[in-house]
Amino acid sequence: MKFVIEGLTVYFPYEFIYREQYAYMVELKHALDARGHCLLEMPTGTGKTITLLSLITSYQLANPSLAKLIYCTRTVHEMEKVLDELRRLHLYQEKEIGSSRAKILALGLSSRKNLCIHPVVSGETSRESVDAGCRKLTASWVRAAAETNLDIETCSFYQGYEKQGSEQPLPPGVYTLHDLRVYGRQRGWCPYFLARQMIQFANVVVYNYQYLLDPKVSGIISKEMQKECIVVFDEAHNIDNVCIEALSVNLRQNNLDGASRNIHKLNQIISRFKETDANRLRQEYNRLVEGLAQQGNLHGSDNWLANPVLPEDILREAVPGNIRRAEHFVAFLQRAVQYLRERLDTDTVVKEGPVSFTTTMSTAAGLDQKALKFCYDRLHSLLLTLEVTEIDEFLHVQTVCNFLTLVGTYTRGFSIIIEPYDERMPHIPDPVLQLSCLDASLAIKPVFDRFQSVVITSGTLSPIDLYPRLLNFNPVIIHSFTMTLTRDCLCPMILARGSDQLPVSSKFDMRSDPGVVRNYGRLLLEMVATVPDGVVCFFVSYSYMDGIINSWNEMGILQEVMQHKLVFIETQDYVETTLALENFRQACDCGRGAVFFSVARGKVAEGIDFDRHYGRLVIMFGVPFQYTLSKILNARLEYLRDTFQIKEGDFLTFDAVRQAAQCVGRVIRSKADYGMMIFADKRYNLPNKRNKLPQWIQSQLREEHLNLSTDMAVHIAREFLRRMAQPSDPQVSKSTLLSQEDLEKMAAMPNF
Amino acid sequence: MEEEDKAPDMEAWERAYADDRSWESLIEDESGLLKAGDDVQQQRQHRRRLIQASGPRIQRGIIRYLCLILDFSRAAGEIDFRPSRMAVVAKAVEDFVREYFDQNPLSQLGIIVMKNGIASVVTELSGSPEAHIRALKSNLESFGEASLQNGLELAHTYVQHIPSYGHREVVIVFSALSTCDPGNILETVKKCKAARMKCSVVGLTAEIYICKHISQETGGSYAVAMNEGHLKEILLEHVPPPAAMPDASSASLVRMGFPQRGSEGAVAICACHKELKIGGGYICPRCRARVCELPTECSLCGLALVSSAHLARSYHHLFPIPTFDELLVDASLRGKSSFAGSCFGCRIQLSGSGSLRLRCPRCKRDFCFDCDVYIHESLHNCPGCETLQEEAVT
Repeated sequence: MKFVIEGLTVYFPYEFIYREQYAYMVELKHALDARGHCLLEMPTGTGKTITLLSLITSYQLANPSLAKLIYCTRTVHEMEKVLDELRRLHLYQEKEIGSSRAKILALGLSSRKNLCIHPVVSGETSRESVDAGCRKLTASWVRAAAETNLDIETCSFYQGYEKQGSEQPLPPGVYTLHDLRVYGRQRGWCPYFLARQMIQFANVVVYNYQYLLDPKVSGIISKEMQKECIVVFDEAHNIDNVCIEALSVNLRQNNLDGASRNIHKLNQIISRFKETDANRLRQEYNRLVEGLAQQGNLHGSDNWLANPVLPEDILREAVPGNIRRAEHFVAFLQRAVQYLRERLDTDTVVKEGPVSFTTTMSTAAGLDQKALKFCYDRLHSLLLTLEVTEIDEFLHVQTVCNFLTLVGTYTRGFSIIIEPYDERMPHIPDPVLQLSCLDASLAIKPVFDRFQSVVITSGTLSPIDLYPRLLNFNPVIIHSFTMTLTRDCLCPMILARGSDQLPVSSKFDMRSDPGVVRNYGRLLLEMVATVPDGVVCFFVSYSYMDGIINSWNEMGILQEVMQHKLVFIETQDYVETTLALENFRQACDCGRGAVFFSVARGKVAEGIDFDRHYGRLVIMFGVPFQYTLSKILNARLEYLRDTFQIKEGDFLTFDAVRQAAQCVGRVIRSKADYGMMIFADKRYNLPNKRNKLPQWIQSQLREEHLNLSTDMAVHIAREFLRRMAQPSDPQVSKSTLLSQEDLEKMAAMPNF
Repeated sequence: MEEEDKAPDMEAWERAYADDRSWESLIEDESGLLKAGDDVQQQRQHRRRLIQASGPRIQRGIIRYLCLILDFSRAAGEIDFRPSRMAVVAKAVEDFVREYFDQNPLSQLGIIVMKNGIASVVTELSGSPEAHIRALKSNLESFGEASLQNGLELAHTYVQHIPSYGHREVVIVFSALSTCDPGNILETVKKCKAARMKCSVVGLTAEIYICKHISQETGGSYAVAMNEGHLKEILLEHVPPPAAMPDASSASLVRMGFPQRGSEGAVAICACHKELKIGGGYICPRCRARVCELPTECSLCGLALVSSAHLARSYHHLFPIPTFDELLVDASLRGKSSFAGSCFGCRIQLSGSGSLRLRCPRCKRDFCFDCDVYIHESLHNCPGCETLQEEAVT
């Protein structure tokens, strides 16, 4: 259908549109008009992706000055989904306005691991080994050598791309990663380099958060993007954590050992070069005198890792004299690693700011701050000069350099914490030196500054007013949309008491109380006997889950649960969890029924959907607060309080509730679906927690479902399930949809 | 706790009613009588089901072989239906069996019970409602798990012996929330589909994916009962014969015998009970064996024995009377016809009686809701059309 929003013709590939989708479009358009950033919350299952794509591409059609849409997703799977939706939209647009006007080029970009079609290299298992395998075949000096020596292997796809592909643009259309690989095979061109080349010309680019937020990657991939771009971060409820992770480094004993080995190897290579090709090293020296900025004219495939987002002036500065020569730099690194090793060898927890850390570093080991800043780039310049292709072997020294650069660059927003052992296991020495970023706004600031509009959206962004403060920006639009439901297909409940009327909670002083454990167990037992097919349980942490499952096992509750449903557990092992999930699905499919124990903030809570019969009920046992004794968390809380005036309690509650909402939100993925959510902790009853839940959950949380005991919850669940099992009336479900005529009528009414 | 203090006398069962607030929908009419809720709305609801069931005139399979699989696992002992799910199911099934044979005299029915992980035959496919009900009543206990796969496999072995013109149906009444199978149930479902078994499921608790899958794959229906009344209602939806299978549409002749009733006082050995009986009974026209009840299959020569009355009773399914149209009360219609103001069936005043006004599309006579139900569900003749025919004859 086609309709007009305030003068903008929007092409929407479906016959009907939900009310909230329309409202979303209106708000989004306002933000784009104002050329500002916006923050929009709309529940999953309402077609957020197509709404975004539909409005923004229509906006692009109307305003050709707009450069491109950059759509950031978290996983490759989501990326493909977005591109599939976009293809449908594109087909519709072609039908409506002809293929010449609706011409777009949209493509997804991912790592070499997902795009490589070289028969040998693509078989590698890890991302680093694929990258290294690719470099061995495509680095400029390898290819130069191959021209004279036919024995040296190169990648035919890269050669093909280099010969023809780099000049010819991709024909317009929508390319998923799969399409790119197919196209690459047909033409004999490398899809990865083709995609990287083509994002300059594309109207829509879909890629991972990292490509914009992680300075190590964004430098190469995204630096050519124009200002007139619209950036969308989808599923962005954890964006602050992504930002922080992008700028945090952990160093352990094995990193330092590995770095020492790397340095040793570098020394060997340097001395070899000195004998055979001293000229190269001299050239590099001259180049460094001129400054890092001139590095840009290196060959396309060689600038594989670039500088972190540094203050602009550093890029123009020349590399300091004491690390210009290769052997000096390596000696510098050796001293740094030695110093870090000494720091790591401690019995007490040390917490320091970057300023004091660098000061002691320069006095104790003679490593000055200015030189630190350049470590990362200097290392890469060196690796290029030495023609090292096995970059995956040099990961450790890269980590160390990354650390040194970050420490040298930022004077605030970071803290360095050295812990001699894990708090939870004090007997095992496991020293770790953590450079932890405390300020999420540091990583995302360049994105906000650079691009015209940034859209941050997710199903769960509540409480929505905290995000602008955390990320330190001024959105022009903040809005939270609710879902128009055809029937009450959501049933959130707050369970505060067990059947024996004793309160239940995962609070620290109560969590090991056998009464609470038993009450939680009874709740699970009653529920698996009431709810069909799949049930998902979330616990606050792995250790809590282990403990409570052990107690249930001893009490015999687990055995009783297993009479009704099979039990699967998420573990920290990725493969094991995948297997458990697969079997869980199978048990749901064949009617045996299954229950999945999982952990808030775990892999499952973040990325796996339990829609339809895979999740008819999700129980959140306790409030998933972060581990409050963690040094890093405390440092961050302190920083937030001092810098952004966010109270510790506020942030902790915000974080816990958004995690809980994220967990329970797994259960419903579309309007035709239905599911129940039980928040099993008396603390959810407190207004400061309850009111922070997303609007779409709150609106379904009825007054009488607030302070339930187990037996009441079972009663409600029974009624709810019977009601939901009745066939839905198609007449009623139509009423939440708007057709083209409805929209035209609404447009005629001035005050909608 | 607080809630307990507020309403100390409130029992758990009362709460359900308190939530419903059913008293608020009571309406007092002008004479001070109380009526429950909106009559017209309820009548419309009732009619909607009728209309859905009717549809265009279709070929129906009159000769049905229905296998009733009952779940008497541990879950059937739950007491959310009073006195227990099992007792309620048994009662509903009893009604269903009677109604089934009343409307499908040419059909047969067998009962399978699932309990303790296995499925066992209660009654073989046969025609007598009383025998089924008796056998079922002597089998009322519940324990163990339910296994849908075992139930379906057993029903599948039944089906092997059914002649090709017969309709193979399975109705599962399922109380449990899970099925505990020895193998892959999805394979069994494929097998049932290949054997053209139509499997429908009536659930008692909640929507279960596998039940939905079974019914969707095999072309059956799936419904979950809200309460006892609803359970009966959805079970009875399986009473009218289903549409004929598309691949069995080629007409085939079925050999049937119309036995005579034996004379009073004649003494013969009954073929079905294997004992001496005096008087009554029916004599098979082919082998002269005596059987006690009709319809049945002669136990000697295997001929299908029916009475002509049975055939006639099945007839109305093939030529149903049309659904009546609802007339919205409109002043312009009044006074057009001599009976415009009253029901043609019972002469009740239609205006202001709180009943829908329904008109037969053929004879254009108006009827009240009660007569509509009576005509369509029991009488299977429209009085208006019949009088028209009489007038045409005279």
